[in-house]
Amino acid sequence: MRQSRVYPYLLLAPAFFLMFAVTLYPTLYSLYLSLNKIEKGRMTFIGLKNFQTILGSSDFWESLRLTLIFGFFYITLTLAFAFVMALLFNRGLRFGGIYMTLIFIPWVLSDIVSGVVWRWMFYRDYGVLQNLIGPLFGDKTLINTPAGAMGIVVAASTWRAMAYVMLLLLAGLQTIPRDVYEAGAIDGSTGWQAFWHLTWPLIRPVTLVVIVLLSIESINAIGMFLAITEGGPGRSTEVLSLHMWREALQFFHFGYGAALAVVMFFINLVLGVVYLRFMQTESSLGAA
Amino acid sequence: MTIAGKRIKVQGLVINLVLLTTSLIFIFPVFYAVMTSFREPGYGLTREIIPKVWFFGNYERLFHYGRFPRYVLNSTINALGGSLLTCLTASLAGYSFARFRFRGRGFLMAFVLAMMMLPALTNLIPLYKLASDLKLLNTYPLMITIFGAYGVPLSIWIMKGFFDSIPVSLEEAAAIDGATPLGTFFRVVLPISAPGLLATFLINFVFNWNNFIMPLFMLTRSEMKMATVGLFDFQHALEGNQDELLAAACVVIMTPAIVLFIALRKYFLQGMVEGAVKG
Repeated sequence: MRQSRVYPYLLLAPAFFLMFAVTLYPTLYSLYLSLNKIEKGRMTFIGLKNFQTILGSSDFWESLRLTLIFGFFYITLTLAFAFVMALLFNRGLRFGGIYMTLIFIPWVLSDIVSGVVWRWMFYRDYGVLQNLIGPLFGDKTLINTPAGAMGIVVAASTWRAMAYVMLLLLAGLQTIPRDVYEAGAIDGSTGWQAFWHLTWPLIRPVTLVVIVLLSIESINAIGMFLAITEGGPGRSTEVLSLHMWREALQFFHFGYGAALAVVMFFINLVLGVVYLRFMQTESSLGAA
Repeated sequence: MTIAGKRIKVQGLVINLVLLTTSLIFIFPVFYAVMTSFREPGYGLTREIIPKVWFFGNYERLFHYGRFPRYVLNSTINALGGSLLTCLTASLAGYSFARFRFRGRGFLMAFVLAMMMLPALTNLIPLYKLASDLKLLNTYPLMITIFGAYGVPLSIWIMKGFFDSIPVSLEEAAAIDGATPLGTFFRVVLPISAPGLLATFLINFVFNWNNFIMPLFMLTRSEMKMATVGLFDFQHALEGNQDELLAAACVVIMTPAIVLFIALRKYFLQGMVEGAVKG
C-alpha cells in the first residue's frame, strides 16, 4: 500500500462533491424548509408550526397507520416467500441459474411499469387475477375496495422484491459450511431440527438485516401506490409517501411537505442505525 | 437404485417443479403485457390472455402517439449521462479506497455507506425547491447530476471490489517505469477493470432508466419528461380504452432493463449482495 498525503483525497473529491450537493445538502435544507411556510415561492419562518400541524392532523396518523399495515404484510409475505425459495435454491439445482434469472426479472422492471400491469390484472370484468381471485371475495372488484386495493399493492410489491431478498438470504445460507450439517447428521438430527438448531442461528443476522432493509423500503414505497391505487379508493391507501407527494405536488404545501419528509427521514434514520448495528454484529460474527 | 437414492431423485423433481411453476408465475405479468401489446386497436383488455387476432401495428402507432419518442430520447440522454457521471467519479473514489491508506479513510467509507441509506424520497421536496431557485427544473443537466450522484455510493463499493481484486504489482511496475499515479490509473488499472466498469455503467443505466419518482418531480414540462413519467400520463389517458397502446409503451420501457439484466446478471446479483450485506 502506498502512502500519500493529498492524492487519495483528490481522487475522492468529485464523488464526495456530488454526494454533498445532491444528497446531504438537500437533506439538511429540508430541515430548514420544514420550519417555513412556503406560498407562491415566498418563505415565512414559522418555527415548529408545521410539525404541530402534522401531529394534530388525522390525515397524517391515518397515513402512518396505512404505512405500518402495508409494511407489516409486505415484510412478512416477502420474507416468508423468500425464505422458502432460498432454501430450495440452496440445494444447488441444475437449472437453478435459469429459475433465478426468471424470478429476478420483476425486480429489474420499473415500479411504474409493474404498477400498470398489476392494475390491469385486477381490472373489473377483464383482469386475469380479478377473475381468478374475485369469486373468493364475493365477486367484488377488489381494486375498488380498501382492503383489496392495499392487498394488490402488497402482492405486487412482494412480487417485485422477493427475488432480491431471496438472494440475500441465499448468500447467507451459502456461508454455512457443509460440515456443520454433516456433524448434525451424525448426531442424528432431522431436517426440521437441522434447520432450527443449525441453519437458523447462522442466518439470523442476515434475516435481521433484510427485515430492516424491507422496513426502509416500505416507508419509501411510492411508485407502485401511484400506479395501482393513487391512494384510492377514497384515501384508503394514502400511505405516508403518497400523503407527502399530494401535499407537495398537488396542493403545493412545500413547507408542510418538507416537514412530512423530515418526519419520514427520522423514521428512516432510526431504521438505518438499527441496520448498521445488525451489520456490525454480522461482520464481527463473520470475522470470528 | 437404493430407496434413499430414489427418494432424493423424487425430491429433486418436486423442487424443480415448484421452482419452475414459481418462475413462470413470476414472469407472467411480463408475458401478459407483451400479449396485450399485440391486440387490435380498441381490444386491449379482453378475457383471453393470448390474442385471437394478432396485430403488430401498436408499436408504430405508439411512435406517433403524443410525445412518446421524445420521452424515450429524454430517458436515454438522462440515464446515459447520469451513468457516465457516476462511473467517472465513483471509479476514482473506489480506486482511492482500494489502493491508499490515509487519515479519515474509515470515516469516509462509513460516510459513503450512510449516503447509500439516505432515502431519495425525502429529498424530493428540497431538491425541487433548490432546482427551482437555480432555474434548473426541466433540464438535462439537473437530471444527469441527480442520477449521477444517486449512483455514486453503491458504485464506489462495486468499483472498490474490482480494484481490490487486481494485483498491485502491475501498478508498481508501471510506477518503476516512471508513469505518474494518474497515468497509471488511466493506462494500467482502468483497461484491466473495463468489464467491471462497463457492468457498473449499465447497472446504473438500468436504475436511471427505470426511475420514476425523481423525474416525476423534476421534469414536468411535456417535452422534457422521461418515458416512465410519460407512461404514468398514458395510464390516465389510455387505460380502459386503448390498453394495447399502453401495453406497447410498457414493453418498450421494460425491454432494455430485461435485456441488460439477462446479459449482466452475474454483475447485477453480485453488486446487489455487496451493496446490502457487505457494506
